[in-house]
Amino acid sequence: MPGSVVRPPYGLMAPSVLFLAVVVWLPMLLAVYISLTRLNQYTITMWLQAPFVALHNYAQALDLRSPLAGPLYNSIRVSLAFSILTTLFITPIAVGGAILCNSQVWGRSALRAIMLLPYVIPTFVNAILWRLVFMNGGAANRILAGLHLGSQDTLWLIGSNAFWAMVTADVWAAWPFVYLMVLAALQTISGEVYDASKIDGADGVRGFRYVTLPIIWPTLALALVLSTIHHFNNFTLPFVMFGSSPPDSVNVLPLNVYISSFINLNFGLGAAESMMAMLIILVPAIFYLRATHVGESE
Amino acid sequence: MMPARTQEGHAPASGRPRRRWAKRARTAIRYVFMLVYVTFVLLPIVYMVLIAFHTTDSVGSGVLLPPSWHWQTFIEMWSTITLGTYVKNSFLVALTAALCASLLAFGASYVVARFRFRLRQTFRMSLLASQTVPGVLLLLPLFVIYVTLQHVLHVKIVGGYFGIVLAYMTFGLPFSIWMLSIYIIGLPVELEEQGLVDGATRFQIVRAIILPLTLPGLVVAFVFSFLLGWNDVLFATALTSPATRTLAVGLQAYLEAFPAWNQLMAASLLAALPATLLFLFVQRYIVTGLTGGSLKG
Repeated sequence: MPGSVVRPPYGLMAPSVLFLAVVVWLPMLLAVYISLTRLNQYTITMWLQAPFVALHNYAQALDLRSPLAGPLYNSIRVSLAFSILTTLFITPIAVGGAILCNSQVWGRSALRAIMLLPYVIPTFVNAILWRLVFMNGGAANRILAGLHLGSQDTLWLIGSNAFWAMVTADVWAAWPFVYLMVLAALQTISGEVYDASKIDGADGVRGFRYVTLPIIWPTLALALVLSTIHHFNNFTLPFVMFGSSPPDSVNVLPLNVYISSFINLNFGLGAAESMMAMLIILVPAIFYLRATHVGESE
Repeated sequence: MMPARTQEGHAPASGRPRRRWAKRARTAIRYVFMLVYVTFVLLPIVYMVLIAFHTTDSVGSGVLLPPSWHWQTFIEMWSTITLGTYVKNSFLVALTAALCASLLAFGASYVVARFRFRLRQTFRMSLLASQTVPGVLLLLPLFVIYVTLQHVLHVKIVGGYFGIVLAYMTFGLPFSIWMLSIYIIGLPVELEEQGLVDGATRFQIVRAIILPLTLPGLVVAFVFSFLLGWNDVLFATALTSPATRTLAVGLQAYLEAFPAWNQLMAASLLAALPATLLFLFVQRYIVTGLTGGSLKG
């Protein structure tokens, strides 16, 4: 009945709207306001009286001469590198897995369930697991030493190595998300399409390039955008793997905002930094909102 | 006509062995890849299980296989830290948040699905957009609101159950409304129209027709909201006290006194269990759930 002239039963909607206002919309507006004040542990209980400093927090975070700018630029760089690289690594693994699970193989349904496991394991468990793997004396070093690819004593959880440990953990855990979506798209392709393309000589790699890829591309693109957003917002993995004093190479934006606000208790700066994180996320987010056709599903 | 027919007849005969070879090779490659994928996925999980069966002494020895299957780890882990409290807290908080989110969402999702009103598209857009907001952006102002309310009303919110449950609604509620509205849009309207013709009130229609039909959707919204709470670390770190700490944050305690990695792995397996079972239970709906209904699995 969309389009009906009947007055909507707003009463059914009121509780949700009230809650959304209290827990989402109001806090969002407040976050903007906080980012314009000097709110810290001394002023937190009377934030209305916290000194209004306009764009000072933003300027401080972005000013190259200030000591805070270093960590922020580093975090932006790490976050971008992390979310883009993991998405790049995930794509072939996910598409390959989906094609494999879509073909006629023995034990296909068991295979499909197994493929989901890394994704359904909670991120905090995943982080703990990979922390153990990359620990000094953990599995990673022993495997690398066994294959003569690295030394037994490589330190993976500090310095620039930590970034690759985090990427590995995330790639392992996150690829089934893209896989699931690609698999769903592959299942919409009927056998006839393939039969027809085989007659036309499009088989194997060419079949994938000219038949499969164009059909799954919209879904794959959406999956990659969503996956980039998820990686960008991932707080749990670096926090549980490296704690609240992480090496620079894994100090992603959400972690940086958390440290500014809840460790250094500089809430104003934290809010300003989270606004900048939101600004970056807006680029893929707008693409995502457009791709889901909110306006069309009437 | 004749020569053409013989050609057609001959071609498969000469091509068949080669094609069969190609087909066999392709099947073999498939199974090799299958093995690669299964190993890639299961290796870290098997590693977890192996570590869990070590004793606290043998886990540091650097040997991968446990000297004996020390299943007692799964008992010992309950007394090293207050694991029972953490498990109870996780269930309590995640279940309450999921129940509130899915029930509240039901009413709103019905209105969004079936009626047209001003700001409807803006409202729907805001539901989707809230899925892209970094959690820490919302945690910060919520924390400030909680601390202020504590100060003014002299009640405990940070560290209490109420504060964390409310915080989990920030993601659970918009998600549930979106998901359920997609579900209700997919239901046929004829039954409701028939109800209206028969003189039923709107409330009766919602209760007797929509609610039973939406039940599967409600279960899925409930499960996803539950997992949001069960898996969260960020909000729980900032908003819980030792008494209300959830499993996701509490597990860290195994590493504080002395690194009991075997018990940590055993408890991690336990923590992964409800999430894994629930995900497999709603497997069919995962794709719809994760993409905001833009794709139906």
